[in-house]
Amino acid sequence: MTLALTVNSTSHTIEIADENTPLLWVIRDMLELKGTKFGCGKAACGACTVHVDGEAVRSCSYAVKFAEGKQITTIEGLGDEKNPHPVQQAWIEEVVPQCGYCQPGFMMATAALLEKVSSPTDDDIDKNIINVCRCATYYRMRKAIHRAAALMSSLPLPESQNT
Amino acid sequence: MNVKIALIFSLLLFAGLIVGFTDSVATSEYTAVVYNQSDSPLPNRNFDKMMDVLTHQRCMNCHPNDNIPKQGDESHPHNFGVAGGENDHGFQAIKCTTCHQPENNAYSGVPGAPHWGLAPASMAWEGLSRAEIAESMLNMKTNGGKDHKALVKHMTEDELVLWAWQPGVDASGKLREVPPVSEAEFKTAVKQWFANGAVIPSE
Amino acid sequence: MNQDKKNTKKVSRRSFLVRGGLGTAGVLALGTYLFRNPIRRVVAGAINTADAPFSGNTDTPIVWFEVTTDNYIVLHSPKVEMGQGTFTGLAQMAADELEVSMTQMRVVHANSASGNVDGFATGGSTSISSLWMPLRELAATMREMISSEAAKKLNVNTSDLSITDGVITGGGKSMTYAEAVMGVKDWKVPDTPKLKSLSDYKFIGKPIARVDLNDKVFGAPIFGMDATLPDMLYGAVARPSLIGAKYIDANTSKAENMPGVVKIIKEKDFVGVVANSYIEAHNAKDAIEVEWETDKNWSTADIRAMVEVGKGKAYVIQKEGHPDESLEDPTETIISEYWSPIGAHAQLEPNGALASVEGERVTVMISTQVVGLTRDEIAKRLDLDKNEVNVVPTFLGGGFGRRLHTPNAVQAAVLSKAVGKPVKCFFTRKEEFQNDTFRPPTHHVLKAKLKIDGTIEALEHNVSSGDVAFGSPIVPRIAEPVLGADLGAWRGGMIQYGAIANYQAISWRVKLPFATSWWRSLGLLANTFAIESFMDELAVKTNRNPAEFRLAHIQDDGRGKRLKSVIEAVVEKSGYSDEVINGKAMGFAVSTDTNTPCAQVVEVSIHEAEIKVHKVTCAMDPGLVVNPDQVRAQCEGAIIMGISAVLYEKMEVVDGALTPTIYGPYQMALMKHAPKEIDVVLLQGAEVPGAVGEPPLGPIGAAIANAVFRLTGKRLREMPLNLDKNIVS
Repeated sequence: MTLALTVNSTSHTIEIADENTPLLWVIRDMLELKGTKFGCGKAACGACTVHVDGEAVRSCSYAVKFAEGKQITTIEGLGDEKNPHPVQQAWIEEVVPQCGYCQPGFMMATAALLEKVSSPTDDDIDKNIINVCRCATYYRMRKAIHRAAALMSSLPLPESQNT
Repeated sequence: MNVKIALIFSLLLFAGLIVGFTDSVATSEYTAVVYNQSDSPLPNRNFDKMMDVLTHQRCMNCHPNDNIPKQGDESHPHNFGVAGGENDHGFQAIKCTTCHQPENNAYSGVPGAPHWGLAPASMAWEGLSRAEIAESMLNMKTNGGKDHKALVKHMTEDELVLWAWQPGVDASGKLREVPPVSEAEFKTAVKQWFANGAVIPSE
Repeated sequence: MNQDKKNTKKVSRRSFLVRGGLGTAGVLALGTYLFRNPIRRVVAGAINTADAPFSGNTDTPIVWFEVTTDNYIVLHSPKVEMGQGTFTGLAQMAADELEVSMTQMRVVHANSASGNVDGFATGGSTSISSLWMPLRELAATMREMISSEAAKKLNVNTSDLSITDGVITGGGKSMTYAEAVMGVKDWKVPDTPKLKSLSDYKFIGKPIARVDLNDKVFGAPIFGMDATLPDMLYGAVARPSLIGAKYIDANTSKAENMPGVVKIIKEKDFVGVVANSYIEAHNAKDAIEVEWETDKNWSTADIRAMVEVGKGKAYVIQKEGHPDESLEDPTETIISEYWSPIGAHAQLEPNGALASVEGERVTVMISTQVVGLTRDEIAKRLDLDKNEVNVVPTFLGGGFGRRLHTPNAVQAAVLSKAVGKPVKCFFTRKEEFQNDTFRPPTHHVLKAKLKIDGTIEALEHNVSSGDVAFGSPIVPRIAEPVLGADLGAWRGGMIQYGAIANYQAISWRVKLPFATSWWRSLGLLANTFAIESFMDELAVKTNRNPAEFRLAHIQDDGRGKRLKSVIEAVVEKSGYSDEVINGKAMGFAVSTDTNTPCAQVVEVSIHEAEIKVHKVTCAMDPGLVVNPDQVRAQCEGAIIMGISAVLYEKMEVVDGALTPTIYGPYQMALMKHAPKEIDVVLLQGAEVPGAVGEPPLGPIGAAIANAVFRLTGKRLREMPLNLDKNIVS
């Protein structure tokens, strides 16, 4: 079947036999955007987190058919080196990543949180950021989340971010 | 005597189906388990059938008394500290819909149905007796203002309620257990129980 | 400076080769001297104290550096980057001797065809320490080589040249490294130049931002799972759920008709499928009916019974004085037992590889900690020369020891050969959890006798563990009869209190029916949990402050001095106290791992039987610190990973299968479990870099358990620490 997707503000038309294929694999292997990670395929680790119409969604558990007509944002669309999203900027300033594999999922989850709660408390962070990081970079992540909140409140948001 | 034998026979058949069901990938049908409604010796047959369903973990897991959804056939607290939050649909950014979509996902084993979420705290059934659950359900102050007609419609037509009979596979690919009464039977029992005045038997 | 010498082996002129005008080759042949000493205890002591050797390629020209035309320096790292920050540290070391800026440094993984493949592995917290001398010498040598070419081109004496940011200036003229390098055919290799003094370094010792930061923040496709090749297909291999399952045969008739299937491949030892997509490959694999043979239906209880001290074979790995005699009288001997469970690696990127077999040429892109071994195993299976197999390491989505064995690369290569196209073949998460090379469960029996003055007369540590190093393909078979005891299992298991007159450590070796192997810090986590919990028991028994009690038993040599320093530093920084204040208690513990002492104090409270760690103070002496920010990051991560293992993680064996098979049920520390304060104090008790990535995992378990004791009076003896729900603090 043919599906029309909008990913990072770009329209794509894909041909896919199984409309229940997880959105993750379409993003990674058909659209060649590798920043969204496979960690468990069970919506448990959060490495595959993307935004669907601005909401955090775990793409390994999201049939691609549901994505038709929606705005999908991946880590590649969140920001880039020239125009980083405040969350990415904060991640750089706090030097958060170690192995780095889970980090896009965490940044996407954080960006979604900051859209809802501009200045999250530690409790908000504990409840909403429940991805898994085996390097256990949580200590710096928490600092980076608070920093991102500060960056977002004092700086104008870049145009390209967050469809 | 005949009635007893028929009942035992159908119970055995039912047990066999349950056992067979766990190893089968086919969707279960309960058509073999038909109680003879007019001859039943059980006075509260409709109520009991309805409650057999409502107290099953497919229903109870999302009617908790602590805002924490339960998971699995043994009803453990939802992994990762997930809770219903203020609106029973999750926290600000991690919502039920972050993982749960309008239908089950066979690849991840994450269950799904429209408006997936917790029942409101007023409809917390965890820890209540069958009669107390029924009272809570009938009370328009706690049930979201539903009269009998609306309740029947909710219980026999709502997709999230009826998900209990299409619960899909879990994370390890095993089919989830369904309530011990078939969907058709449940609907009939609900309709008859309300039609007969929604009488809650004394415990 | 003595330690400096051990690691010093000058780059010889003869072995310094140059290829293509851009590459240089360096050779350091320190090999496997660790295993040559036949006296077990001496060897054991040596491993515990030795500086890390670098065991890189010894006989062929290999690329270390490239100078690009736009004047970047590309360092081909023989060590892989799995989060530990090695790329950044190596870049700092090279940049300082090369006289280039950090922004001019690029670091890539050396591939096995052209780069320097480390014969050992990336692991054991040795990457920076083992390359400390060789890499700087190589960089300094290359700087001299380039500058002598520049002198010729600029027509000035080399002594009149100065270098800043890779630009050579002399006689009023200047040229870039790139310009100096271009066109040179015959390189003159000088004697290894004198290295700069530490105070002259601009980057070493500074908190330089990670060189891989942008790639990891903007989602660059840098991991094994991100690798692609044209016409690539997807593979999946059936893996067993049951312990000890051997592949017998498979009925593939159903799978053959599944959508997207290209080919089903039946080998003597596995069955796999190649399909057009990841999902189709795994759907088809799931439709294969595999016949597995198993001999026993294992349970957690079976495993626990096997691991008991006394069941396996005993090896004394450390002995001083007369501990047996001192501990003879049971009425005067204090005995305690501790347990740790099976632990999973649970790294986020599943194992897998992208393999391309074209005739006799094989290319494999993979997250591996053993580039050379991966290459050798593929060559062996496909009956090819090693030189025909190029292993291209990618960034690792977590290592932790899980990628020290990569049979999956062989499987991917076999699948690729069968279809004549590149095949990417990865584990599912369930397959990861059930086919892991687990941290082995352990049992510890500690014995002590106290003197009348409250000090220790004799101390004994028995550790029984499944294998860690033995059975691993990177440890030579010869090591087993020589060592007897598993060097991984007893890591951290020796007694660090040299002022005690009589002590010994005994390692009991148990062969378990499932794979156990390297897990970050190896035995250190469980061994320190046991020894330092026991030391706390003794301190409590003798009414001593736990830190002072440790200090009283440490010898006055160089190691002892460093050990005392971290204890004193952590006590001062944390303000350690035995008092319970506002429902919070402190816990103290200290460990020494491969020459790096580390002491920690934790602040813990208990709420509804849940142990909460609020703050961790960590004082560590890893010697010279190349990048203090990344050493701190390693401490923070190791501490939280330790908290995860100590408070939550546990694999069970149920009906013959390892379980759970997914995150969540396999409980791990999440954001909410991480302490909100981590205070790291770094001491420098040596002038060379030592181990960093693993030592901070040592003290955390005992520190938490010791704090819980102060809150509850209850001594928790089993990981994961679990308080009875009835206990109220």
